Amino acid sequence: MSAGVKTEVEIEAGRQRLRLWVTSGPGLVWIMIFLLIPSAVLLGIAFFSSNDYGSPVLPLSVQSFQQVAGYSLLGWDPGNIIIFLRSLKQAGIATLVSAALSYPLVFFILSRPESVRPLLLLFIVLPSWTNQVVRTYAWMELLGPNAPVSWVAHLLHAVPPDLGLAPGSFAVTTGLAYNYLPYMIVPLYASAEKLDWTLVEAGRDLYASGARLFWHTVFPQTLPGLLSGVIFVAIPAFGDYVVPQLLGGDKALMIGSQIANQFTETPDWPYGAALTIIMLVFTGMGLVGFRILTRKLGGAEEATI
Amino acid sequence: MIPRGVRYALSGISWPLYALLYTPLALVAFYSFAPAPNQAGHSLHAYGVLLHDGAVFTALRRSLILAFGSAITSTALGTLLGYGLCRFRNANAKGVLAHIPSLIIYTPIIMPGLVFGISELIFFNFVHSATGFLGAGLQTMIIAHITFQVPYVALTVFARLAGLDPYLFDAANDLYADGIKSFIHLIVPVVQPAIIGGFLLGITLSIDDFTISFFTAGPGSVTLPIYIYSAIARKGISPEINALGTMMIGSIILLAIIHFFITRHRERAGQLTPTGKIA
Amino acid sequence: MKLLSYFAAGALALGLAAPQTARADQPTLNLFIWSSYIDPGLLSAFEKQCNCKVIETDYESNAEMSAKLKAGGDAQYDVVVPSSYYVPELQDEGLIQKIDHSKLPNFGNLMPKFQNPNYDPNDAYSIPYQWGTTGILYDPAKIKNPGTGWALLFDPTVNPNYPFVLPKGEGRDQIGAACAYLGYGFNCSEKSQWIAAAKLIEQTKKRPNFAGFVDETPARDQMKSGLIAVSMAYNGDIASCYADGSCTKLKYFLPDQGSEIWVDTMAIPTHAPHPELALQFINFILDANNGATLSNFNQYASPNAASQKQLTGILATPLINPTAEEMKHLSFLAPLRGAQYKLFNQIWTSVLQ
Repeated sequence: MSAGVKTEVEIEAGRQRLRLWVTSGPGLVWIMIFLLIPSAVLLGIAFFSSNDYGSPVLPLSVQSFQQVAGYSLLGWDPGNIIIFLRSLKQAGIATLVSAALSYPLVFFILSRPESVRPLLLLFIVLPSWTNQVVRTYAWMELLGPNAPVSWVAHLLHAVPPDLGLAPGSFAVTTGLAYNYLPYMIVPLYASAEKLDWTLVEAGRDLYASGARLFWHTVFPQTLPGLLSGVIFVAIPAFGDYVVPQLLGGDKALMIGSQIANQFTETPDWPYGAALTIIMLVFTGMGLVGFRILTRKLGGAEEATI
Repeated sequence: MIPRGVRYALSGISWPLYALLYTPLALVAFYSFAPAPNQAGHSLHAYGVLLHDGAVFTALRRSLILAFGSAITSTALGTLLGYGLCRFRNANAKGVLAHIPSLIIYTPIIMPGLVFGISELIFFNFVHSATGFLGAGLQTMIIAHITFQVPYVALTVFARLAGLDPYLFDAANDLYADGIKSFIHLIVPVVQPAIIGGFLLGITLSIDDFTISFFTAGPGSVTLPIYIYSAIARKGISPEINALGTMMIGSIILLAIIHFFITRHRERAGQLTPTGKIA
Repeated sequence: MKLLSYFAAGALALGLAAPQTARADQPTLNLFIWSSYIDPGLLSAFEKQCNCKVIETDYESNAEMSAKLKAGGDAQYDVVVPSSYYVPELQDEGLIQKIDHSKLPNFGNLMPKFQNPNYDPNDAYSIPYQWGTTGILYDPAKIKNPGTGWALLFDPTVNPNYPFVLPKGEGRDQIGAACAYLGYGFNCSEKSQWIAAAKLIEQTKKRPNFAGFVDETPARDQMKSGLIAVSMAYNGDIASCYADGSCTKLKYFLPDQGSEIWVDTMAIPTHAPHPELALQFINFILDANNGATLSNFNQYASPNAASQKQLTGILATPLINPTAEEMKHLSFLAPLRGAQYKLFNQIWTSVLQ
């Protein structure tokens, strides 16, 4: 081969790269122009000082990051760390509960005739097309002091009389599961729908019991969908503050509301920007770690973007 | 394929879950029949008020245009994005750079809505004052909505494609010389549930979005969530709001059931085959 | 798939059929205001008078409005309606412009106490729109002995069992109420007093029947549904639900240890596209008849002395028009500026955590 002439492999690799750019390019470029650049500009103000009204002013400083670490005009307090852990816990609960509910629902749908499946799936997604505040208020009433469920809770002495299950942690969990179920079910279903049942048949010959059968033949095939679902649920749930606000009585501040407050009620935009950066960094690191972990578990197979 | 015992168990769990999913909606519907002010007894008063309220329908129309307009575009962009990353990315790339496309895609999902909205406002304001394009209004809202929907579609399509037999793609190459043809005739049918799922997710995200819409809206561009949020802030969850929710969900359920019966009728008459999979 | 294409086609058709919002040759007034805070009849009347089009955009909190203005919205709107305690901040940040009183012949209609308030001397940057009071709302079926002060919220012995809430917001009212209860007066301003008030609120948070942070208007709705029994409230919200019969059983009072009188004002953003129209609009609202129409619609008190005789019904009662005795205990929130403002915000943030 003379130098300067590309090998077939190289040409093909070049074509691959071209195809990659043609297909993925538009989407990636769109996100870069319409989100990455604007938010980089906004988040850049984290490196400014904040004037008394919370607007960014020179000189540059890292004071807002110190505030993230807990230092304010009142000294140090661990508030942000607590908020961060609380939000993490909330994300975990939302993910676990929605995953636990999604699996039976998805396989229930798959056990039904094909013509009915889109309808069943639509009916799960449909409640999320009502306004979030309206449906969360409905839960407040369903779990409030006068509701039948709360009477049962009073009988069981789980809740003092005159109070209800809402606001409270049970109500918050219910609200989270209710809100995030569609986001877990759609990718899980899309993945499970193409399940290769011959593998399950083969497994039945090797493993007698149901649970082991599921775990070794069914579950791995649903992994891509589950992983997408985990991302769709865990990340928004981490920053969610509407559900804890309405069903938790807003007693426990979440990172989402802490950030929102810094741009609205108690304005301090550089601090809000710094909080957002830290949150993005942590979540980004978590996602990268998640990717690496799933690659290790699944061999060389790429289960998620 | 699923043993009978398991099927009964699945039904036993799922039907109650469906019931639970619709209990809050049943309550919403119940409240929509509340008596008229200073009167007793259930009535359709709220529905009457609603149907005469022009502002609601303007807001609804705007929300639908916004949702469908953005979802169609984001489904197109997102499907290509998910497909491209699944098929053409070098799986063996190592190092930090390899994670960059992923991080780009995740950003709209991770970004808090308020920061997202304020960033867009500042950005569009700058573009508008510099060039005169992109004044605040429906166009800025659609752009913002597309931006947050694309990752969801991409991830859903990717999940569907991932783990597919890689020989599928080789078969595509054999059958269709042209990459575009192979995409349309082979890939899209396989991925169809994911495309539809992604589209539905996009609509869901758009219809319920308040914060980003609030900040990117121009004067007077009221969407349904903005309208509802205002109405709730001022009058609480009034019977009219409950009536609105009931009507929306009720009409979609009705349409879906009608569509289902029409399709089933056609299938039985032998005119259609079940959609979706390659056998 | 077919169904979706029907939807899409339908949506596009609706979109194409959308009527234009304003004729190109008609000037427009962009009004940024609290939702349901102005009579649509008044907007039509103004449109006829000025031969222009009014486009109303709504918000539900001063904080949202301020954030939008800061991010560039101050070039989109001609009139905004901030609450009085926000005016100093908007002014210091250069978000609102000075008002040319020479263009407001109706300014003299305002009551004297609203012509030169502490939050905006001589109404240089803001013109009063509606005013009201903040007090306590409770359910007498559950609470038998509410007392006359803030103890109903802060003293566990007065309300040991029933769910109650405090507003979230920016904290001014809550710290003020706590200060008043502790004897420092509603408008306390010392750091030590703020910290004592903050500690009281943190203790209140820990009570088992504390049902959370819910702002005044949503709290009224929760009380209507029986979810809570005590909250802070705005008198106008109560007047409107008395009027439509949905909360007649609930009671409202002004704690005698001190409470807030507030004013919502009209202001003109610095880069407003049509400031002359804005001034016309403000003058229009200051007209005696229009001021009365406005109050009769909102069920809130009017700062317009010339409108008083046209106010009807509940507007003449002490709920909306406090007695002289009650007025003694009401104060405008003193303006917080600069470093004090920042300190207050950080104290309130630590309370919320």
